[in-house]
Amino acid sequence: MKTKKILSMALVGSMVFSLAACSSKDESTTATGVTTVPDKIETTTEAEKKEGYEYGLGKTFHSDEKVTYTMFFSDASWYAMQDTWKTEGVFKKIEDMTNVHLEIISYDSGDYMNNVTLDINAGESAYIIPKIYDDSAFVDGGAIVPISDYVDKMPYFTDFYNKYDLAPDVRTITRSNGKYYKLPGMKEQNALNYTFVIRQDIFKAAGVDVEGMEATWTWEDLLEALKTVKAYMVSQGMCKESDYIWSDLWCGGGSAQGNGGNLLNVVATTYDVNAGWGMGNGLRFNFDKDEWYFSPATEEYKQYLTMVNAFIKEGILDPDTFTQEDDQATTKFYNGETVIQSVNQSQMATTYSKCAENLGEGNFELYYTIPPRSKLYNYSTAGSNRLENGVMISQRALDELGEEDFIKMLRFVDWLFYSEEAYTLCKWGPKDEYYEIKDGKKVLKDGYCCGGLGYGNNAEGTLTDIRLQWGYAGGNFWYGHSLAEMTDNYTDELNHYVFSDVENREIPRLAPGVAPTEEQNEQINLIATPLISAVNEWSLQFIIGQKNLETDWDEYIETIKSNDYEGLVNLYNEVYKASK
Amino acid sequence: MLKMSIPSFRKKNVDKVESSRTIGVRENTGYKVFLVFNTILMALIAVATLYPFLYLVAQSFSSEKAIMAGEVKILPKDFNVSTYKYVLSMGDFLKYYKNTIVYSFIGTVLSLVFSSFLAYPLSKKELKLTKYLTPFIIFTMYFGGGLIPNYVLVVKLGLKNTMAAFILPMMISTYYVLLMKSFFAGTPKDLEEAGELDGLSKFGVFARIVIPLSKPIIATMTLFYACMYWNNWYQAFLYLRKEKWPVAYYLQTIIRGSGANDQDAQKVSMNIRSCSMVLTVLPIICVYPFIQKYYVQGMMLGGVKE
Repeated sequence: MKTKKILSMALVGSMVFSLAACSSKDESTTATGVTTVPDKIETTTEAEKKEGYEYGLGKTFHSDEKVTYTMFFSDASWYAMQDTWKTEGVFKKIEDMTNVHLEIISYDSGDYMNNVTLDINAGESAYIIPKIYDDSAFVDGGAIVPISDYVDKMPYFTDFYNKYDLAPDVRTITRSNGKYYKLPGMKEQNALNYTFVIRQDIFKAAGVDVEGMEATWTWEDLLEALKTVKAYMVSQGMCKESDYIWSDLWCGGGSAQGNGGNLLNVVATTYDVNAGWGMGNGLRFNFDKDEWYFSPATEEYKQYLTMVNAFIKEGILDPDTFTQEDDQATTKFYNGETVIQSVNQSQMATTYSKCAENLGEGNFELYYTIPPRSKLYNYSTAGSNRLENGVMISQRALDELGEEDFIKMLRFVDWLFYSEEAYTLCKWGPKDEYYEIKDGKKVLKDGYCCGGLGYGNNAEGTLTDIRLQWGYAGGNFWYGHSLAEMTDNYTDELNHYVFSDVENREIPRLAPGVAPTEEQNEQINLIATPLISAVNEWSLQFIIGQKNLETDWDEYIETIKSNDYEGLVNLYNEVYKASK
Repeated sequence: MLKMSIPSFRKKNVDKVESSRTIGVRENTGYKVFLVFNTILMALIAVATLYPFLYLVAQSFSSEKAIMAGEVKILPKDFNVSTYKYVLSMGDFLKYYKNTIVYSFIGTVLSLVFSSFLAYPLSKKELKLTKYLTPFIIFTMYFGGGLIPNYVLVVKLGLKNTMAAFILPMMISTYYVLLMKSFFAGTPKDLEEAGELDGLSKFGVFARIVIPLSKPIIATMTLFYACMYWNNWYQAFLYLRKEKWPVAYYLQTIIRGSGANDQDAQKVSMNIRSCSMVLTVLPIICVYPFIQKYYVQGMMLGGVKE
């Protein structure tokens, strides 16, 4: 009996101790701000020839002695890594240039994040961890180095950061302790990715000149154009009055979870509101008032919904768009049932070949246009945030190498991911070996092709694909960089729509970074999750016409009020002010 | 065909269960109505279960164009075997298939040996440690070490990217051991004693008397373990590099469209996916109808206590 009592007391004691430990407020619960990220990074003025290695802006990193660093690698099954990549391809060339041997730990790209997470949590991480989109899961574990403490040691990173004013962008990945944990891929400017492809032959036949009007066209203009095209198609017996000539992908089942995905995001961006893939927590920043507001409760949101609804009301846009699988949508376009659909850079080649397969070569003409603007804003839909996925560095590297050699490794990473020399090497291979400059433009030499660079049709199988054979133009190394570098492999069609967007649209200002603590994040999500779910549900009903925008709008506002959107706005503004 | 007789002392149990199903049921109108509805219901369930597979088979023999156009329902459209030729000519598929066969064979043999080694002593009530050991073994059914500790263990043992990493962590299934244990417990003690009187060692009794009398449970366990290894992809995801994958994991990557998060991801054609799925499940489907009765029997035999 006595033993039981002692045991019970001990258990109660340990529980009280645990609870007290849980409730103790440590420093990390308060946001310390994102303004710790400087506008410009001051580089250290050390000599560029350190003992044992050479580095610096404009120089190739080179270690006097051969060193080995472990690196994870996301291996895509459609261009799976071959031994030749190591023996004569990209890894060999990197080693030849820098005297750094990369010991690659590769995982299938589909499970890459799961495998990497497992290794990091098990303390088995590689030193260099590329291809990281979301680093939030690793921040508190202590397994990843807060890389912001070391970026001043990285001349290429610093140069790009300062040259293109990337501080506001980098602040968006800064955590509540004022540090960031990922070396982001940085871009001078976003190149438009998601846009529209139209059946130019049918548009032309209907008398609609998209090329001439796209610079300034609005969604209303697109609607009118499609009505004209449909009238023509009906008159020619190409479709019936009840048919839809636009049935889009990336909006329905799989890819968008039925929330309108890409299309709603594109239209909403031009109205300066959140929707579809870009819904997030619905908040947007008002620069005049210096505060956040809930965009799905605004007049602009109503105008955006009215516009999308008009496409359905007029019998142009297929309501199935918001429920169907992507394959169903693309099949209609490839078969010629529809005349417009969304497309991105990597889908261009497929779109052409599938149309050729189904419609017959020479029986169609495609044109890649830029998305229309709204009557309110002339915004580009390329996005304001210029960061890409990035590279994390494991704490294990620091522990095992020691600070001096760790910094040496960082300088290698700096060269590999941020120098123009390494960018070109990883993308095109060594100069004059696989590519040459013709008329100021990089082109592959005869005998080579490359799926990753988007050209070089190898239908007869006589060409060597430099990605399949040697690992160039893979997805692990090249993200970001200047617009000229990013577009140096673009086809004329791609260049046309990317630069048409750059010339004719404005990039909206980037909202400031907000760094909530883990607890604040939980609170935000607690309100935002049911709220956004209600917004999405109502929005689709408005778009499809199940709810009337004039008569049901007030009820919608009441509903989202009861889901506490005002509470979300207040909470977010508090966090924002605290982290300023 | 696999043919085995159930020992008479076991048959009693099975007969008891079988007969309990029919005793007391009369061939009245109600029963006939029940039969009709039951048959319809079972037919519907059979169709619902079979249709996805027939659809897969139809897709695997159809052209991609017909699949994309949604023209394939239950019969192939633009019938061709080129997808099969293509899949079978791909080095990868056959390599992974071979891996699966090797893992399944070695894994099943090892699992049977070690599971029966563990189950047999546990079935002996007279062994003093049995009642203390059994709870420890059952404990592992409900509580595991967790993903990370297991992963660290395998890595620190130097097993990562070896066949052992695929087989060892799941070599002994507690549930199957318990089934075997209760089967072994039903073996007449007299037989074992007779064996010992004739000069057999403990191992001799086990190998020459108990195992030959336990063919039904061995057959069932063979099937269970073989299916487990054949279908398993998770250990491969955790521990194996590409060249050592079993076909199940390879299949998983092509079905979900490897690298779906990447913008440059490419989908594997639907007919290739279907064809790979058909080829992967084919061996199990071919064997299963002939041995499925042992599934039920083995469960009954292992699960029913006298």
